[in-house]
Amino acid sequence: MTMMATECLLQLCEQRYEIEDFQSAVPRWCTGCGDNAILAAVQRLCRDEGLRPEKTVFVSGIGCSSRFPHYMRTYGFHGIHGRALPVAEGVRLARPDLTVFVNTGDGDCCSIGAAHWIHAIRYNMNMTVFLHDNQIYGLTKMQASPTSPRGTKSNTTPRGSTLEALQPLSVTLGVQNVSFVAQAVDWIPESLYEVVKAAYHHQGFSFVRIVQRCPEWLPKVWDPWLHDPKRILMLDHPQGLRVSDGLKQVYRSTDAHDPSNIDRAREIASDTDRIPVGILYRNPEVPCYEELRATPGLRTIANLKQGLEAELDKFTFWPQ
Amino acid sequence: MHAEVHPDAAFYVTGHQAAAAPGTPAAPALRPALFAAYRDLTRLRYDFPLVLRADAADGRVYEPLTALVERLIEGGAERAKALRIEDELRAAAAGGTGSLAALGKVEGELVDCDAALPARLLAHVWRAAQAEKAAAFRRDVERLIVKLDDILRADRARSAAGRSPASLKASFGALHDQAFDFESMSQFLGTVSVQTALSDARRGRIEATLAELRAQRFYAAPGVEALEFRFDSCAAALQAFRARVPDMMRLAKAITLAELEVEGEFSSERHDALFERLAASGLDLRDLALFPDYLVCVRDALVRGAEQDALLEILAGGLPMKVLLQTDDLLGEPSGRAGHVAAGAHSRQLAHMALGLNSVLVLQASAAQLGAQRERVLRAMRYPGASLVSVYSGAGGHAGALPPYLVAAAATESRAFPSFSYDPAAGPDWASRFSLEGNPQMDRDWPLHELAYEDADHQRVRVQVAFTLMDFAACDTRYAGHFAAVPQAGRGAARVPAAECVQREAKGVPDALPSLLMVDERNFVHQAIVDDRLLREARRCNDAWRSLQELGGIRNSHAERLLARERQKWEQERAAAAPAPAPASAPAPEGATPAAAAAAAPGPAEAAPPPSSDEPYIETPRCSSCDECIQINNKMFAYDANKQARIVDASAGTYRQLVEAAESCQVAIIHPGKPKNPDEPGLEDLLQRAAAFP
Repeated sequence: MTMMATECLLQLCEQRYEIEDFQSAVPRWCTGCGDNAILAAVQRLCRDEGLRPEKTVFVSGIGCSSRFPHYMRTYGFHGIHGRALPVAEGVRLARPDLTVFVNTGDGDCCSIGAAHWIHAIRYNMNMTVFLHDNQIYGLTKMQASPTSPRGTKSNTTPRGSTLEALQPLSVTLGVQNVSFVAQAVDWIPESLYEVVKAAYHHQGFSFVRIVQRCPEWLPKVWDPWLHDPKRILMLDHPQGLRVSDGLKQVYRSTDAHDPSNIDRAREIASDTDRIPVGILYRNPEVPCYEELRATPGLRTIANLKQGLEAELDKFTFWPQ
Repeated sequence: MHAEVHPDAAFYVTGHQAAAAPGTPAAPALRPALFAAYRDLTRLRYDFPLVLRADAADGRVYEPLTALVERLIEGGAERAKALRIEDELRAAAAGGTGSLAALGKVEGELVDCDAALPARLLAHVWRAAQAEKAAAFRRDVERLIVKLDDILRADRARSAAGRSPASLKASFGALHDQAFDFESMSQFLGTVSVQTALSDARRGRIEATLAELRAQRFYAAPGVEALEFRFDSCAAALQAFRARVPDMMRLAKAITLAELEVEGEFSSERHDALFERLAASGLDLRDLALFPDYLVCVRDALVRGAEQDALLEILAGGLPMKVLLQTDDLLGEPSGRAGHVAAGAHSRQLAHMALGLNSVLVLQASAAQLGAQRERVLRAMRYPGASLVSVYSGAGGHAGALPPYLVAAAATESRAFPSFSYDPAAGPDWASRFSLEGNPQMDRDWPLHELAYEDADHQRVRVQVAFTLMDFAACDTRYAGHFAAVPQAGRGAARVPAAECVQREAKGVPDALPSLLMVDERNFVHQAIVDDRLLREARRCNDAWRSLQELGGIRNSHAERLLARERQKWEQERAAAAPAPAPASAPAPEGATPAAAAAAAPGPAEAAPPPSSDEPYIETPRCSSCDECIQINNKMFAYDANKQARIVDASAGTYRQLVEAAESCQVAIIHPGKPKNPDEPGLEDLLQRAAAFP
């Protein structure tokens, strides 16, 4: 199809953004927090993709991770605990022209918001979801979360937590309509950026679990993986992400995993010894809920009024 | 010596027929033998009549009645009853009537193959394509109108009038008008200064744009009469198009302006000059995609002189017009003049000329093929530039009792009017753009069919019969003079199937005369000799078909030559390699060491060499932006454009700070190097701590 003059003119006037254009307040996360790395990667994505701040929205729930929208100079919605996803779905339905990102934590998503999480995967609405998984409630100063490893000593589990940790990737891969699942770690900025970018480009519900260090409350928990590159499994495939030569020199464990193979993806996700980094699963064919439910008419005042009148007429008694 | 010329041979050379032998039918009563099975088409299930669907929700804008009935049967309709209704409908359609009411909920028209079919069918598909386009246009324009209206409404609400007590009261509705003090509310709101009011220029621009969008006449809207886009003459269509260009430019500008205003991107300094330049350069062909396409239905016989010039201008200019070039009489009058018998194939020439323009979508098909070529017809009607659809209707009125469908099908079958399509949007090369789909047995010169009949001895005879241009000419009563019927067990000159003679060009009277198998009214088989002029025309037709085959990638001479060359080369190489003894393994070069081999092997990707260990440095690409080092000294450490840390000035702090930064770095990527100041206190301890970060 040819390009319209309008598009040409809009492109002529297209603005070039810098990373500073997306920076808002100074982050109040602890020094050394992995959230900083996620923020840097996302701001870099916004700059590189030329996202217009007024057409971008970050939605979050409650927790350290959920302070994210405050630090982005875009639209933001700091929601209520566990409800980031329903809010984002509403935004997506009402304003399909916006690019929607969701930042949620392990407590926010996997505990109080778990039901919304499951159904959001099923709806497969076009949004990019970052699960900042530091395995602890940090904002409320150290309580065990659903992803805390068994034996984690915290204010709520002083003798060590008793349950096995929940695996967010395995859960996501088990839900109908799952269309994109990836994982990154905050200490490999290059692959973090590539994963974030691939998630943004996927049309559908892109779920990215980011393994994130909490230097304040669980400072040592990721050390075995941080200091032993062999325990990071880089997923390298032409249909997924390619691992650069530089990274391959450091991270020598690679797996040529085809992201369309969900069985293998589930197998990889259940590996507790190594942390897989890259795209575990991608299926661009899964339909998006907003497309399935798209209404042909415009939301004009006249149309809304007509719909409202029709509903009210159902309860109106007309004189016989 | 005296030899008498045989009358059949004389006919072959001169075209003049001696008195027919007793019991031999006159040629007009004969038809090609392959037509023996097709007497009454209404008794056959085939792809006509067509149903032009009024409700094309499932993508079938039109389809054969047979396909529709089959679906009804699959859906549970009683088979016998459905087939009987189909028979009745087919008979009714052949008589020019027929309503689909008998099939229940199906809405549409039933059309049979006749002179009116091409125009009716194309107009139907064109209307469906335009309806899609109109819906998309209305959706876009309605959205723009709503958004522009919102801008004006928001401005009105912020204005002094909008904040007046009466206006505020009106906005609350009657139910709550006692609940608020609108006077106070108005006074309170009046104290708020409004800094974002629309400028008069912008308001005027938006209002003018809105008026332009609402007044457009290209697509029908309530209260606005739409313009006519269907024409029966290329010249008239071209004239109308030219007259509408100013309106089109205004509307295109209004849409562009509206988009920019809605996005809040319009700026007079930037865009006024651009619009002026766009106006000066005329309407870009790409913008034409916004507007409805024109449908021009013309008869081949009338495309002469000014009309032909207009057609060429439309096609060469790539104007958004869909031209139906309908031919009713393909062969034309058989003239006594020298030259081609079938010189009347003007439409074929126009279609071939359009192929040379490269940007025109060309579709050629006989009317009988239109059912099978549905996808291509749809593409032609949706193509953004100019399309030329050349159709032979078969309804020239010279085929005696043969129905138009059979005549049209015979034109395709005999290569007199081959099907082809050229779609510039299908790809970058001829292989993807050009297609000969729809022609029977594409890789042969003439299609072959088996014919079985009973001979004079009451024995079954099976022969392979080619359907040639001569068979097609035999369908035309005006060409009866080119055939001389001869008795089956004839005397005199030998005969061979006419198709075999096409390739053999002989001077004078050949040993065997070309003959066709034909049948009379009672389906009795006869042989007819073809005269030389018709044979020559068949030869020309065959040449034209071979050119088309080459374009379509069949027996392409370039490819065949290349293949022959490569094969020859390969065979030569093989012949050269075969007798030679097997070469002895080459000895390893002297002095080669594993180290040298390793050096020659491609190494891993080059990484930047680390700086000398005396200088402090950071592995910036591995920085996780955690702020630790920046917190220690933000003059020594700073972020780069990707928000990753680097050392900007090592002298801006102490060695102690470097070592502390290295220790606190979450991913241990800071290397402090050696101290610059030998007098710094506690240096020994610091050096020990720095040793962990070499």
